[in-house]
Amino acid sequence: MKILIVDDTEVIRLLVSRFVEAMGHIPVTANNGAEAVEAFRKDMPDVVLLDMLMPVMDGPQAARLIKRQAGERWIPIIFVTAIGEENRLADAIEQGADDYIIKPINLRILEAKIKAIERTVLLNRKVREQSVKLAEYYDHAEEEKRVARHLMDQLVNAERLSDPQIEYWISPAESLSGDLIAAARTPGQVLHLLLADGIGHGLTAALNVLPLTQPFYTMTEKGFTLKDILAEMNDKIRQVLPRGRFVATALLAIDNINRQIEVWNGGIPDVFLLGKEGHLIKSWRSRNLPLGILPTRDLEMVTEHHFFEGDETLMVCSDGLIEARRVDGEQFGSQRVLASVESSPPTGRMQGLVDALGRFLDGLSHHDDVSVVMVSLAAGQSRSLSLDCESVYAGDSDLELADALLAEHSFIWRQQLSLGAEELRRVNSVPYIMGLVDQICTVPEVQSDIFLILTELFVNAVDHGLLKLSSTLKHDAEGMESYLQEREQRLANLQEGRIDIELMGLRVQEKDVFRLRVRDSGEGFDWIRYSPPRNVEIARPAHGRGILLVRALCPIVEYSGLGNEVIAYYVPKTHLLVDQAAAGGSK
Amino acid sequence: MHPTVEIDGTIGRLVLNGQFDFNAHRDFRQACEEVLAAEAVREVHVDFQNVSYLDSSALGMLLLLKEKVAAASKTLALVNCRDSVRQVLEIACFGKIFTIR
Repeated sequence: MKILIVDDTEVIRLLVSRFVEAMGHIPVTANNGAEAVEAFRKDMPDVVLLDMLMPVMDGPQAARLIKRQAGERWIPIIFVTAIGEENRLADAIEQGADDYIIKPINLRILEAKIKAIERTVLLNRKVREQSVKLAEYYDHAEEEKRVARHLMDQLVNAERLSDPQIEYWISPAESLSGDLIAAARTPGQVLHLLLADGIGHGLTAALNVLPLTQPFYTMTEKGFTLKDILAEMNDKIRQVLPRGRFVATALLAIDNINRQIEVWNGGIPDVFLLGKEGHLIKSWRSRNLPLGILPTRDLEMVTEHHFFEGDETLMVCSDGLIEARRVDGEQFGSQRVLASVESSPPTGRMQGLVDALGRFLDGLSHHDDVSVVMVSLAAGQSRSLSLDCESVYAGDSDLELADALLAEHSFIWRQQLSLGAEELRRVNSVPYIMGLVDQICTVPEVQSDIFLILTELFVNAVDHGLLKLSSTLKHDAEGMESYLQEREQRLANLQEGRIDIELMGLRVQEKDVFRLRVRDSGEGFDWIRYSPPRNVEIARPAHGRGILLVRALCPIVEYSGLGNEVIAYYVPKTHLLVDQAAAGGSK
Repeated sequence: MHPTVEIDGTIGRLVLNGQFDFNAHRDFRQACEEVLAAEAVREVHVDFQNVSYLDSSALGMLLLLKEKVAAASKTLALVNCRDSVRQVLEIACFGKIFTIR
């Protein structure tokens, strides 16, 4: 230790200096209080031995200045005092001196006091070092959290959640949420929605859900189905997370064109479908283990389908909401969730739920991340209906265009793709077809239309041409389930057959035109009898809306040959699409 | 949570109590090691009788226990699950991979 010895008597300074030097410390000396303050500033001693009575500045005053200068650092000050100065000593100790020693100095006692102080100084130094380290850790952790939060925000991408159909609420238990809500649209405008809940909360939970974002967004945008996305997400989790970690996941597809919802729920509380008045119509309970537990080949990827009317609301929430506990241990529970939503006005359901939870917890904070997302099916409806009604081709000019189209036999470019039974069985072909479209055209609206048309024609060719499924099965929700089951089975057993797809770019009447041809190796059907008349009425059967949409988008859709070949001409009408987007958004 | 281990012939009973969440991690792991170290034990029962609440981290710990039990060629059952516990296990569909009694 460095010890500052302050005394106006040289003999004492010398004596004490020699003594502490002999103890192995470093002495520094000063003649009076003023010098002491200066020496303290310059030499930064660990201990100060301070005479009470000195010229220029006395001990107590110097002690005050030294303590002030030391700030948070603890500098023990020992007063050296003569008998009879007890009163001033008491004042000095009150003002911050740490100990005292009586003159004449007993060196044995001085030694003991210095040793005692040394122990305290070392301990104090250690505590200070640790607290500095702790503060550094804290800053470091805060910085990491800040980066993680930024990363989460970017990946979750609030921009995409600004979809007019969606309303959401995330309330983390710590500064970072381990719940993830993500939404994206397929090229065919099907809305995919993901709610994922990682183990625990805070940073580790957030890290658990991160691997899901990339497959979700990229595969949705390429037009992959829920099953494909689930398989990829499960692979990702198993690949990157340690054992014992899993992610409860609800994945939904909302298809406003076919008025169909597809649900897969693994470990998330019931997904609710609410009626116009906010009452419960249907719920989908968790039927699957959370993702990450089973190897992908053992994963049950059976999704549930439901046809909706168009005025319902879908609601998904994490278990943090259902299991939020108030002071007596009672949980918020699904019943309170449903009651609060039903008693709120249609536009204020989310707020109603948030308020009800707040009243229930009564100032207590929830212990797990809470997230809720509501999808208004009505908001998506207006958009698809407007697509049906506004863009139906009619009138003389279109007939003229149609004639010109059929007369045009030269093309600017042509792309072909043939898929055999093996490919059809093993892979989801639509995203691959989409890869073709990507290279041809970059306008998103046009891509989306082409995707819709191709998907519809392709799926028809597979289902009815190769698999010989009858669409009458699809009349109601139950029929739809058995249709899809039957489809899966027949597809798995498909041994022969092929589908040829041809895309052509033409230029007719100074317009860019796409000619899409899909041909299957099946027996075809009596297309002359089944073809609907041109001025087809937009009814709303459970099935067949897809082909209506194709007819709405294309001035010509015609079957040929045995009915195993269909050709559609698509003329991008970008001005119309822009108008529609505006109309859809304002409703 | 201070889980207790009771060994009764070939059955090793791991009795949990209170809240089963991440804070119980160390205690739970120690108790698991204890019950798995007993050679006579063929069947491990995790007893939830006194558990008021369990969260997703607890489910993760159960998954790890399941692996360890399988590696030791023993069997595992979750027993005496109260409603609040059963609800969490049901949402996670743990009935598919655990024996729940």
